[in-house]
Amino acid sequence: MSISKRFAELEHIRSALNEADADPGRIVMERMLSATEAEIAGRRTILAGTNNYLGLTFEPGILEASHQALREQGSGTTGSRMANGSFASHVALERSFAEFYEVPAAMIFSTGYQANLGILTGLLRAGDKVVIDAHSHASIYDGCRLSGADFFPFRHNDPEDLRKRLRRLGDDARGALVVTEGLYSMLGDIAPLAELLEVTEEFGAYLMVDEAHSLGVYGEQGRGVAEAAGILDRVDFITGTFSKSLGSMGGFCVSRHEQLNLLRYGSRPYIFTASSSPANIAAAHWALDHVRSHPELREKLWSNVAQLYSGLKDLGFRLGSAPSPVVAVRVDSHDEAARIWNELLASGVYVNLVVPPASPDGASLLRCSVSAGHSPEQIETIVAAFGEAISRTAFAGACCSG
Amino acid sequence: MSTEARDQYQEILQGLYTLLARFPTGNVELKEQTDLVADMGLDSINVMELLQEIEDRFDIIVPLNVMSDIRTVQDLAIQVQRLLGENS
Ligand SMILES: Cc1ncc(COP(=O)(O)O)c(C=O)c1O
Repeated sequence: MSISKRFAELEHIRSALNEADADPGRIVMERMLSATEAEIAGRRTILAGTNNYLGLTFEPGILEASHQALREQGSGTTGSRMANGSFASHVALERSFAEFYEVPAAMIFSTGYQANLGILTGLLRAGDKVVIDAHSHASIYDGCRLSGADFFPFRHNDPEDLRKRLRRLGDDARGALVVTEGLYSMLGDIAPLAELLEVTEEFGAYLMVDEAHSLGVYGEQGRGVAEAAGILDRVDFITGTFSKSLGSMGGFCVSRHEQLNLLRYGSRPYIFTASSSPANIAAAHWALDHVRSHPELREKLWSNVAQLYSGLKDLGFRLGSAPSPVVAVRVDSHDEAARIWNELLASGVYVNLVVPPASPDGASLLRCSVSAGHSPEQIETIVAAFGEAISRTAFAGACCSG
Repeated sequence: MSTEARDQYQEILQGLYTLLARFPTGNVELKEQTDLVADMGLDSINVMELLQEIEDRFDIIVPLNVMSDIRTVQDLAIQVQRLLGENS
């Protein structure tokens, strides 16, 4: 395909979004007012589409930690850890992650996307087999592709389908890698990790779990869905990001295998990119400590989840899953989703518009992410805005059940 | 190709036609040269479903990475035959 053809293809996508007045890429937060509010198109807007699950981005402590790192360590690392050396703060953060998960090895990456790319390409070679949940994030698909391994999707959250696929791999199933997530970011459903692990172990395969959306949110200590499922010590690799509950930027992997550290010598997404900036590392480290020492943040989050979930349910909306910090409202058509999304924006509420091919099962979604930083009044406003948006539509009956 | 292999290929092809007929075919006639995306208009979700049905029907497992090299029904049939060979 020539570049001009590619431009034409992309132009087609852009104009389709423009015509439907549904281009999420046009949203600009002109001024941040807090972790849960910004000015968008000059309007004070409640943010319910941020992944800022614990609402830590404006905490005085996180800001002070970042400022101090900036002053003491400078604005950037200007290089890769393997070529240009690690800062003590990177090493210290890895130590904290290993301690938190009670494992011998932790590695940090410049983003969560790169953590998945780095682990998958570091572990897998051409001809290796990897079986992934069909709803996996793009970084997991891309990591599989880049590794050159043979990869196979299994039906979303379906342990029996995983078993079938591993069985068909025959002898190759032993030592294969199975990849799943904890909390799925679009529909807000969680993986049946205990069952998936059982199948994985049955075949002598390895399990990797991406807890990008579940770190700080699930589990008694906030270690994710694997902790909540009681299988933390049996998962082989856990990846995640600093960009959601930790309110920073960067990614990590922890493992019960000390050999994880060997990937430093053979993972290109780790080696050939600059390490995270000191301010990012300091923010992530502060937030990790905060998650550990403030379990009440999770209580606040879950109480907000309950309020939003029941509010939307009472309005008759079809929701993507059981209550979780991702509350996805299912709408019948792309156009309908776009219309409600614009109505919400006009009334000062920002959520995520998710339409195919970005949505996992062809659904059109209005995805809300709940934050511990939301006040009960803000949640009330969000619910009321949804209520008004459907009462103003001619298709009110078409979008909702009940 | 041996007669046996040719028969097997034909059998696979017929099986694929049956499976494909359940997808939106964009009113095209299913032939060996039918392009799954350009002619039939299958999207990525359709392709995933198709893949799973093919796997169930032939009791094989098709790597998603080989799917990117597959354009036509013929490409698909050849790949299924290759995978069946690997298993036996
Ligand atoms: C499941 C999952 N994994 C990985 C990532 C990537 O994280 P990051 O934003 O740090 O690159 C995301 C975020 O979009 C995600 O949803």
